[in-house]
Amino acid sequence: MRYDSITEAIGNTPLVRIDPAVHGLSRIDLYAKLEMLNPFGSVKDRAAWNMARAGLPGARERRETIVELSSGNTAKALAVIAGMHGLPFKSVTNRMRIPEVKDLLLLLGAEIEELPGRSECLDPMDTEDPLTLFHQRLNQSGSAHLHTDQYFNDLNTEAHERGTGPEIVADLDGRAPDWFLACVGTAGSSTGVARALRAHDPAVRVIGLVGEKSDFIPGIRNIDEVHEVGLFDPATYDEIEPVSADDAIDGMLTLVRRCGILAGPTGGAAYRGAVRHLTALDAGLTERKTAVFIVCDRVESYLGYVKQRRPELLGRPRVRNSVTALSDTEVRAARVIEVADAQKWLASERPLLIDLRSSFAYAALHIDGSVNIVDELFDELLRGGLPFGKRQPVLLACPVGEQSARYAALLTRMGHPDVRSLAGGIIAWRDAGAPLVRD
Amino acid sequence: MDTAPLYLEPRLAPRLAALLGAAPFLHALVDALGSPLNVLVPEQIAENAAGFRSVYRRHHLGGQVYFAHKANRSRSLVRRLTTADAAVDVASLGELQRALGAGFTADRIMATGPKDPAFLWLAARSGITVNADGPGELEALAALVRRYALPRPRVLLRLREFETSGPRTLSRRSRFGTSVKALGPLLDLLERHRDSLDPVGVGYHLDTTSPDEKAIALEGCLRAMDDLRSRGFQPRALDVGGGFGVGYLAHAAQWDRYTSELTAAVMGRRPPLTWGGHGYGLHAEGGTLRGALSLYPAHRPVAGAAYLDALLSQPARTLGRPLGTLLLESLYDLYTEPGRALADQCGLTLARVLEVRHQDAGPALVRLGMNANDVTLEDHGILVDPVLLPRNGGSTGPPEPAAVHLMGNLCLEADLITRRTVFLPRRPQPGDVLAFANTAGYCMDFGATRAQQQPVARAVAVHREGGEGTWRWCLDEEYWPVQEYGPINDPGGQS
Repeated sequence: MRYDSITEAIGNTPLVRIDPAVHGLSRIDLYAKLEMLNPFGSVKDRAAWNMARAGLPGARERRETIVELSSGNTAKALAVIAGMHGLPFKSVTNRMRIPEVKDLLLLLGAEIEELPGRSECLDPMDTEDPLTLFHQRLNQSGSAHLHTDQYFNDLNTEAHERGTGPEIVADLDGRAPDWFLACVGTAGSSTGVARALRAHDPAVRVIGLVGEKSDFIPGIRNIDEVHEVGLFDPATYDEIEPVSADDAIDGMLTLVRRCGILAGPTGGAAYRGAVRHLTALDAGLTERKTAVFIVCDRVESYLGYVKQRRPELLGRPRVRNSVTALSDTEVRAARVIEVADAQKWLASERPLLIDLRSSFAYAALHIDGSVNIVDELFDELLRGGLPFGKRQPVLLACPVGEQSARYAALLTRMGHPDVRSLAGGIIAWRDAGAPLVRD
Repeated sequence: MDTAPLYLEPRLAPRLAALLGAAPFLHALVDALGSPLNVLVPEQIAENAAGFRSVYRRHHLGGQVYFAHKANRSRSLVRRLTTADAAVDVASLGELQRALGAGFTADRIMATGPKDPAFLWLAARSGITVNADGPGELEALAALVRRYALPRPRVLLRLREFETSGPRTLSRRSRFGTSVKALGPLLDLLERHRDSLDPVGVGYHLDTTSPDEKAIALEGCLRAMDDLRSRGFQPRALDVGGGFGVGYLAHAAQWDRYTSELTAAVMGRRPPLTWGGHGYGLHAEGGTLRGALSLYPAHRPVAGAAYLDALLSQPARTLGRPLGTLLLESLYDLYTEPGRALADQCGLTLARVLEVRHQDAGPALVRLGMNANDVTLEDHGILVDPVLLPRNGGSTGPPEPAAVHLMGNLCLEADLITRRTVFLPRRPQPGDVLAFANTAGYCMDFGATRAQQQPVARAVAVHREGGEGTWRWCLDEEYWPVQEYGPINDPGGQS
């Protein structure tokens, strides 16, 4: 397929049937609408393009900055669109909790502004609510901003009413599904799709999925937060059900491991929410039904999110020559040397003195003649073997002598005959009045 | 719609829970000393200080834990800390006199906040550390030192407006401290006054619950320390201020449910949960929720010492390593100034029920022998239930949950102890006592006044003999951390 602009590739995403052996529903065909296959990576591509498109020429003339309150995918799509049209883009947020997304936005040239956290000494009379201030700034006359306003902009909903919804009907041979299930973020996709499907068949049941309050799922609002969304109308949904971060990760695992769909946690939450809702109904059905859920974006940005919650999923094999593999006995047996003796030893034998602290701390103050190899780097060096000869005596130093003792033990285990750890570390050295220098 | 009572039960550590279990003792105290009454548990603050210390140890850091005296006016908490591994942060001349009088030595006192000449003079005279707000204060201090030939005081520089590269993190505007952009001129000033002032480090104090903002400030301070060093000073301490927070509620589920129902009430989908439909910062506009919830996050799984631990474990944004590790590696001492977090679980405020007025519809009005200035939970946006201590010690009939509004004793429409409808496990009777738990941090006497000649709460310190036995009390001003009752018995003339 040939296009003149990447924005033409937005939409017309595939509708893929989930293998019944995976979801276990006997009378319901469950389909995933793969919005993750939009060119910039998510369902938000549609809304971003639809909201920004008309305003672009004017914005360019007036040299405006595109501004959006977004913590992720909308910002990503708008950053790309802004870049393509020679406009700056700024994302303002207090919800950006996925570091990979933040880095990607910076790579795309976006400016990110993070709103301050809650006040610890609260003043209930405070009128400087950060969000209110943000809106005031935007509304000041002469402010050069194109605010796409995804939470209140009907063009967000329209993108799905005209695109996503009708595509689903077309792919189901002109029929609306019996159920449509979607996570609620800006409510744009669920509201737009629901409108299109209901216009086709008023009997379609729409289930909105919101996050549980205890943890967060990227891109979904919790049951309280949805009310802050202008596009959110409870009447859109036949039911609103909560999903947890655990559900999201479990669902994501099923999609990525068994269905070949590399979905992120939001898609996972939609899948789990869908299967849970439908399983309760499946047994009572007498005829075949269909259900559709949305896979909002891709897995790659969420490895940190998963690692924090399920570190075992990203377990790595144990490395050779690691301090973590040492026994306490080995560490206690490491040879240590007191400050006064260390000074004498340094003068007489000239051992290699390695300072394991960060380069920042080393640059501020260090023992004259020491070499700075940061512990992380040293750790990596040792995985390959001894980084110096066995005839070269070595003195290791760290802040308090704890880490240096572990590395001394490790080097001893690796066969080095004369490695010692500075007892009490650089702090003991300083407290003993021994000289520290700054270059 | 959910109509079950919306409880917000307080989180109670064993000491406070045991004290609330001793209702006859508390009733006797209110009978004798009047309502309202503040009850302090000095042993708890020593335990809290030890909790902070253990975080220091975990990160191998030295330094001081300075209790922010302003969190509580009582003498007993400060006096108890003199024998703990802790120090005190004073924010006025009166607090400094208190700290010196309680037995703190100069090496364990730091002056913070806005300072008048007398405060600065006594600070320098006694040799305590001065956390300086800006160039004006440093000039004034240096002038005092020269004019009165005072010892060279240790000073810390309070900084603000730390910059970041990449994503810009906004912080609330503060009226305190010096912008890091103006660090250069501040260091010029210190160089001019090298003989009169001894800069020992820098610090920040941010009014935010966000660890990200604090991490940025801490990293900015590490860099500022380097600037001090390059000017030939020998900075050794970094002050990360306070704001470690307290978890007030026992159950996350109650908080989640309450805030959801409050949202529903503001949206008009359930009857109001507050006096006059107050929304605590939220309001509905065309079917959409607007505003921001102006409440303290009352259920906080990570607060106090654990918050400090999390902050120190967080990697610095540009330097990469955990902040605690960077402090340690740079050989810096850590100063903290917890107020609320050190006073956590250290006391409660008691009030007698004076009148229960039944309404035809809606919650009963309960008038208390206190006013809103005596327990400032509401001023701090902290929602937590008081504990009902019935007069007769127990039950007449089965307990039945009751919704009430708590009114103060001032002749003033606005004198509500809280605007929230409070659910109690049973309907209170005149003579009962309501105990507001965990008020010692800022919510006990911070705003107490003698408005309308109503009494200000007396304060007592309590402890349990042998930790398990009878509860003992003394007036707050009579408390000292010793257990002696007179001269040591002299056998007399038998040498």
